[in-house]
Amino acid sequence: MTDAPGIEDTETAKPAPIVPVASVAGRTLMLLVTIMTFLSCLTVGSVVLIQKSAVGWSADVGREVTIELRQVTGEVMESNVRTAIALAESVPGVGRARALSHDEVKGLLAPWLGQGLELDNLKLPELIVVEIAEPNNLDIGMLNKAVSTIPGASLDTHAAWRQQLNVMAGTIVVSGLLVLGLILVATILAVVFATRGTMASSRDIVDVLHFIGASNRFIADEFQRRFLTIGVTGGLFGGLGAIAFFLVAGLVVSTVLPSQSSAQLGALFGRFALGLDGIVAILFIVPVVGALTALTSRMTVRRFLSQISS
Amino acid sequence: MIEFDQVGLSYGDGPPVLKNLSFAIAPGSFHFLTGPSGSGKTSLLRLLLLSRRPSTGQITMFGDDTTGLSGDKLLAIRRRIGIVFQEFRLLDHLTTFENVALPLRVQGLPDSAYRENVTELLDWVGLGKRMDALPELLSGGEKQRAAIARAVISKPELLLADEPTGNVDPDLSERLMHLFAELNKMGTTVLVATHETALLDKFAVPRMILTNGEVRFDD
Repeated sequence: MTDAPGIEDTETAKPAPIVPVASVAGRTLMLLVTIMTFLSCLTVGSVVLIQKSAVGWSADVGREVTIELRQVTGEVMESNVRTAIALAESVPGVGRARALSHDEVKGLLAPWLGQGLELDNLKLPELIVVEIAEPNNLDIGMLNKAVSTIPGASLDTHAAWRQQLNVMAGTIVVSGLLVLGLILVATILAVVFATRGTMASSRDIVDVLHFIGASNRFIADEFQRRFLTIGVTGGLFGGLGAIAFFLVAGLVVSTVLPSQSSAQLGALFGRFALGLDGIVAILFIVPVVGALTALTSRMTVRRFLSQISS
Repeated sequence: MIEFDQVGLSYGDGPPVLKNLSFAIAPGSFHFLTGPSGSGKTSLLRLLLLSRRPSTGQITMFGDDTTGLSGDKLLAIRRRIGIVFQEFRLLDHLTTFENVALPLRVQGLPDSAYRENVTELLDWVGLGKRMDALPELLSGGEKQRAAIARAVISKPELLLADEPTGNVDPDLSERLMHLFAELNKMGTTVLVATHETALLDKFAVPRMILTNGEVRFDD
């Protein structure tokens, strides 16, 4: 008896799963879960990147305010600039104030008016950048009042721009969550159809299990185990694929793309680095997709078993 | 053990396949269920397996009225019945050992609890050296012996066999019948559905004869 080949192996081996894992339906479903997880992670990653960039932009913009001095007849611009700088630097919370040179103004206008601009022929306002050293101590009311004493001067706190940024970032986050929701709903529907297909093709197994006294719960557990394996494996492939995508994209942006394109992408996505929190958010999707696949398949299997038992 | 009282069966709105069957099968008995093709043998086995419910009448098994049985009670009765199919119905991806152990595994028993019993039974049916083989590597006779081993591993009180010799040669048919007889001697009630006259003639076993959905006993 013990001389029979392979018996020792059988004694130590774990029993094979009752529902075969490597069926055609299983492979198709795994590919589908991988793609869906990849798309979900891509969405989450993009939302994280844009959210981070928005926070960065908002912080950058919030660290500066601008004093604008328009040309006023009878006023000496250079004197008003010096007065504005002195007044601004006297306000608590302000670090340093400085007037932008003509070249800097030219650089700011270049995207709208083009290169080779001759500013001398235009009556442009002077711009003074006021750097805020201590945002919490800044008395913006006092600064505004001081600036208003200078003829033709006004203070731009970038509040409207910051609000727009916040609205845009919020819209992207909400849109991202909606897309994520839609992808997860599509995943659920795909799992339902795949499970039904698998159940139909496994009808023989189900019948045999019923005949030998298996309960519906036992059969559902066996199928759920199989779908959980598929869900987690597909989810892992999709999640790791998305992380690899962001790593490669970050590398491409910083090394391969021309500097101008890289700067534009950088403006939108920051340094294109997910960071630890981004990677955690992506990895969180993997068990979610696995659990969703297992739960959906279990409910579909139970419904199928109830139908054939009635 | 089994009592049919005015049992009838129809599929959907079709004509009755079984009509007003009333009979009893005593514990420890051995019967052939015979009749021409389409006489309702398989339908009767389905009723006995509780995989179909009668359209009319009442079936009592092991002392319990099976009408409206569901859930755990239905499961408990099913686990007292073993079934052998003509087409074996072994699971292709499981080894002989795993197929035979399946009824115990679905009851939640760990491998260690049934390993010895399954090995012993496989030896008894002559498959001791084929334990690790997948069904596709077994001959027809080996498959049927594995199917019988699967049907009896959980020591059922009632063994049903649906044309068990239909896919094996005459010599093996006879050996399988001896196997059923051995099981019957151990106390298992056996009901073998067959239409093989050679087999019916060879074994002096009481017959349940189904004709046009009606049953009569021929001792």
